[in-house]
Amino acid sequence: MGTTASQLGKDLLSEYQELTFLTKQEILLAHKRFAELLTKDEKDLPNTRLPMERILTLPELKSNPFRRRICLVFSTSQHKDGSLTFEDFLDLLSAFSDSATMEIKSHYAFRIFDFDDDGTLDYGDLERLVNCLTGETDDTRLTDEEMRQLISNILEESDIDKDGTVNLSEFQHVISRSPDFVSSFKIVL
Amino acid sequence: MSSEPQRRGSREAYDYDEGNGYPSEQHALRLRWVSSRASNQSYPQHDLSSTPAEENEEGDSGPPRDLRAIPLPMALKRAVRQVQQMQVPVVSSRQSWRRKRTKSLHELKEKARESLYFFTLWRKSLQKIGGNFGGGVQSYFLFLRFLVVLNFVSFLLIAGFVLIPSIVFRSAGTSLINSTGPDECKVYDPNSQGLVEFYKYFLDLLSGTGFMEYSYLFYGYYSNTMVENRNVSYNIPLAYLFTAIFYFVFCLICIIARMGTTARVAVATGGSAVGNYSVIVFTGWDYGCQGDRATKLKQKNVHYRLQVDLEEESRKKRAAALTLCQKIALYSLRVFMCFVAFGLIIAAFYGIFVATNFSQTKSGEEGILGLFFEYLPSIVITTGNFVVPLLCDQIALLERYTPSTTVIVALLRAVFLRLVSLGVLLFTLWDQITCKGDIDSHDCKLCQYNYKVHPCWETRVGQEMYKLTMFDLLVNIALLVLVEFPRRMVVDNWSSKLAQWVGRQEFVVSTNVLGLVYGQTVVWTGALFCPLLPLINTIKFVLLFYFRKVTLFYNCRPALKTFRSTTSTFFFLVVLTFGWCLATAVMIYSLAEIRPSMGCGPFRFFPSMWSIVPTSFYRLSTITQDFLFFIGSQAFSIPLFALSCVVMCYFIALASVYGKSVALLRAQLKLEGRDKQFLVKQIEKLSRQHQILKHTAGAYE
Repeated sequence: MGTTASQLGKDLLSEYQELTFLTKQEILLAHKRFAELLTKDEKDLPNTRLPMERILTLPELKSNPFRRRICLVFSTSQHKDGSLTFEDFLDLLSAFSDSATMEIKSHYAFRIFDFDDDGTLDYGDLERLVNCLTGETDDTRLTDEEMRQLISNILEESDIDKDGTVNLSEFQHVISRSPDFVSSFKIVL
Repeated sequence: MSSEPQRRGSREAYDYDEGNGYPSEQHALRLRWVSSRASNQSYPQHDLSSTPAEENEEGDSGPPRDLRAIPLPMALKRAVRQVQQMQVPVVSSRQSWRRKRTKSLHELKEKARESLYFFTLWRKSLQKIGGNFGGGVQSYFLFLRFLVVLNFVSFLLIAGFVLIPSIVFRSAGTSLINSTGPDECKVYDPNSQGLVEFYKYFLDLLSGTGFMEYSYLFYGYYSNTMVENRNVSYNIPLAYLFTAIFYFVFCLICIIARMGTTARVAVATGGSAVGNYSVIVFTGWDYGCQGDRATKLKQKNVHYRLQVDLEEESRKKRAAALTLCQKIALYSLRVFMCFVAFGLIIAAFYGIFVATNFSQTKSGEEGILGLFFEYLPSIVITTGNFVVPLLCDQIALLERYTPSTTVIVALLRAVFLRLVSLGVLLFTLWDQITCKGDIDSHDCKLCQYNYKVHPCWETRVGQEMYKLTMFDLLVNIALLVLVEFPRRMVVDNWSSKLAQWVGRQEFVVSTNVLGLVYGQTVVWTGALFCPLLPLINTIKFVLLFYFRKVTLFYNCRPALKTFRSTTSTFFFLVVLTFGWCLATAVMIYSLAEIRPSMGCGPFRFFPSMWSIVPTSFYRLSTITQDFLFFIGSQAFSIPLFALSCVVMCYFIALASVYGKSVALLRAQLKLEGRDKQFLVKQIEKLSRQHQILKHTAGAYE
């Protein structure tokens, strides 16, 4: 957190309002919820970095199948372990907020779906994405045949330059045709 | 690698800190291509939140919008902001004034949005519903909220222009037209009962008779007076007529405005056939889902949708491979099933017709039996609306359409059934009022309507609509208490195979929406004859919202099988427009064709309800008359019509040009992709050659 006290300073608050899509109430609520996750001694330290497991105890993220990827994408830690500071947390909420633009949301959605972090969605990424969507239990998994057909259909529809992968622009092109995306890509505390 | 983003400036689409073994040339190429696309801002996207267009117009319109939209972590955004602040731009005073103005306007908009946040009706409930049950169920509740607001605003309209002036000018005012016509027609005595028992009040409340009949609730109570003091002049009948007409027009405008926002999106997506799988996979997850149960259900839902789509695809392949014989058999089966479905619907209509006539003959009965006969048409309609769609569902299964077509076909049949059953009821009423359309028959000759059975026919029609509304509400309450709660208790506490097979209730969105559309159509049809019906409907829909919410959270499990098209707001609004058309047809017919009752109402002694307009028109000043004549004449309307045709042609041409440019851009994208692949292969070849040269050169040294 930016300050040692449990209250956010006024200029810090206005700075966060400028740099994120969150309203004042949302930032204060995020501050409160983040503070609830801290232990007593951590409360006094500035810029505490919370490990991923504690972030994932939040009810909004607890059952999300993409929770680990979300923490990894928004984390600025050197070790790539998914730990978040308060500012990372605000970045997360800003991207998932009501007023965030389609570009920001589609950009972060792409990064969340890019499981191997190579900048494109290839067959492996898409397979893991579909498994996350349908659940990993046996009765909700697609069969291998169905999976192959599905991924080949997806690539046929969205891979415009036919290189076997979906890059950011192709992804954003598909997203732009869906009216639901902005309203479903939302996490509100 | 990490120094590259800063060099490229703030419009960076991607920011990698390490290359992770990725070939650097490919990465650079990709970054350059991606960042040029990002800075173009030419995506075919919707103006859903911010408006990038106005950004481009203003140039650098204020830092806040730029910074927030950069996909970088907070620390980097701060650095970018510091850099921006250090660059002091040289702007003219006019530009800086404009920039300040947009900034203050922006802040004002933010404050307004925040304050509106508190006033939106039921915002938290809707959020909770959407998070736990998904977008489909939430769309039903959003539609319900829209109808509540529409009805409430209509009530305010009617109260302001008809109800309050009627109350205020009740005793004052002179009659507009002298009474003409035979005296038997003017007899109307609704309070002829004397002392009544207590329970009769309750029965009267439910059926709109007795003490409720001669009140502001129904048409018969309003007077045909015109008030003309020194200060104020108010023509009550004219106000009544114009308010009714304006109410219809206002509702249509609201529906179309709401349709406009959803239609724009539906047209932009250009038909959900193409890109279906990608859309489901990339946008299918609802991040607002909370809790394990909701998540598992959502996962099952997505799994089901994907499976259904894949199965439809294989089914289409199989259908294309059918032999001619099989095709003929299938189509003849479908035609036969269509006839069966229509036969069922016509049987239901005949039942309603018989029931309404029977109810009219028994209209003198007292007590509970009398109430039963009063409500008989409503009972038959509700039973038909319940049974026939079930049978239609089974028929649709036999027809072996694809699953999504099956659902839509069954729904359209149910819509047809509900709206036209209402039409049949109205037809039987018309039958009785106008003696089957034969003005010269014995009963109708004197007053041109059946004055013996219906001394005040408008109130009678209003009462029928009132009864339909009340009955709908009572059925909903009864179902909630007697069917849904017990079902859940049985399923939860009795662990037998039968109970598990029946299972908890499913919240089927489409059936519920049809119920709402039906209720609203009844209100529209009855609004001319029962001016307080929109208020009653507002209360009814508010109660319905809370009942449905309670049943949703306590008794229901979410429906697994949902189809996008049937839960879309656009589909609901189209169906609502069908209802509006039916109600408008009824209103226009009553205004123009049937003679108003002579014993009651604001239009007594007029040959038709519409004829008050010409009468009042000639009381206006000559200049106004001439002006209105001019507007109605051909000299004005034909050029206006031609002008609107030209404007429409322009928009059609514009739309086709946009469609063509979209196709062109896609083709261009394909070509650029191929170019990129070619260049990448060239680079790889060259770098390999370079490596080989270095190797051989090194080997020589």
